[in-house]
Amino acid sequence: MLQKSRKITFILAIISAIIGVMLTVQLRSSLHPVHKESRSIAELRTTLQKELEKHKNLLADISKYNQLYYQYETSLSEDESISVMKEELARTRRMAGMVGMEGEGIVLDVVDAHTPEAPVADEHMPVPVVGDYTIDDEDLRWLVNILFANGAQAVSINGHRLIATTAIRNVGDVIQIDTRTIRAPYEIKALGEPEVLLSALKLEGVEDNFQLANKKVLAEKRDKLMISANNETRVIQFMKPVKQKGDS
Amino acid sequence: MWLPLIGLIVGLVVGFLLDWRVPQEYSSYLSIALLAGLDTIFGGIRSFLERTFNVRIFMSGFFFNTLFAAGLAFIGGFLGIDLYLAAIVAFGVRLFNNLAVIRRIVLSKWINQQE
Repeated sequence: MLQKSRKITFILAIISAIIGVMLTVQLRSSLHPVHKESRSIAELRTTLQKELEKHKNLLADISKYNQLYYQYETSLSEDESISVMKEELARTRRMAGMVGMEGEGIVLDVVDAHTPEAPVADEHMPVPVVGDYTIDDEDLRWLVNILFANGAQAVSINGHRLIATTAIRNVGDVIQIDTRTIRAPYEIKALGEPEVLLSALKLEGVEDNFQLANKKVLAEKRDKLMISANNETRVIQFMKPVKQKGDS
Repeated sequence: MWLPLIGLIVGLVVGFLLDWRVPQEYSSYLSIALLAGLDTIFGGIRSFLERTFNVRIFMSGFFFNTLFAAGLAFIGGFLGIDLYLAAIVAFGVRLFNNLAVIRRIVLSKWINQQE
C-alpha cells in the first residue's frame, strides 16, 4: 500500500511538473507577445539605408575627433598644444563666420527676367501680366539652404555673410538680413565645389521656381571668390561660460 | 503529499529556464490544454482522497483530456464555432466540483482529528 501510494504521488509530481511548464510557457507567451514586423520590405530598406548613412557619418565624426584628440595628446608633451589649439580656434572662427574666406565657388545673380515679347496673336487679347510677384524671404531662405545642404562653406547675400543665427525675413516690402535691408538685384556668393552647387541648384529646380516670380538666376563659376567676415555686432545675452571644476 | 507541489515548482522553474514561447495564434490551444490538465490534477487529488485512485485512469485522463480539449478548440476554430467555450465551461464546472469535494474531505478529516 505504501509502495503504491508513493508511486501515485510520484506520478502526480510528474504531471504537475508538466503543468508547471505549460503554465510558464502560457504566461510567457501571453505576457510578452512576440511583436511581428508588419512593415513592408521597401520601407525597411529605406530605413536601413538611412541608418547606414547615419552610422557612416557618425563613424566619420568619431575618427575626426579621435584624430584631434590624438593631436592634442601627442603635442601636449612636445609643447605644441598651443599651436593645435590655435588651429582649432581658427577653424572655429572660420565656421562661425568671423573671418573672411577665399576660395572657389559660385556667384548667383537674381535679376529681372527679360521676357521676350510674345508674338501677339490677337491685338485685342490682353497681355498676361507676369512679374507681379517679387522674391521674398522664403525664396532666399530656400536657396541658401540648398547651398548649405550641398556643402557650401560660406554664403553671403549682397555682401552680408550668413552665419548660424542669421535671420532672413520680410519686413514690410523689403527683405532684411539680420537688421540690414537688402534690395534687388540680389547677389549670392557661395564657397564650395562649383559643380556640386550648380548641379544641386538645377536638381532642386531653382530656375523654374524663380521663373515664376519673373526672375532669372545667373550662375557663374569663380575660381577665386572672396567672402568677407560677418560684421554684425553680436550681443551675447543668455550664455555664459561653464565654470569647470579645477578651473583657475 | 508535498511531492506534487515540488513537482509543480520544478516544472515552473524548468519552464522559465527553457524560455519557450508559443505563437500568439496557438496560445488559446495551450490555455485550454492547461485547463484540462488542471482539471485532471484536481480530479486525481480527489480520487486519491476518496481512495479510488487508479494510475491508468489518471494518466490516460490527463493526456486524453488535454489533447481532446486542444483538438476541440482547433476544430472549433476550423468550423468557425467557439467550441473551446464548451471545454472551458465543462472543465470549469468540474474544477469547482472537484475542489468542493476535496475541501469537504479535508475538512471532515481535520474535524475528525480534532475530536
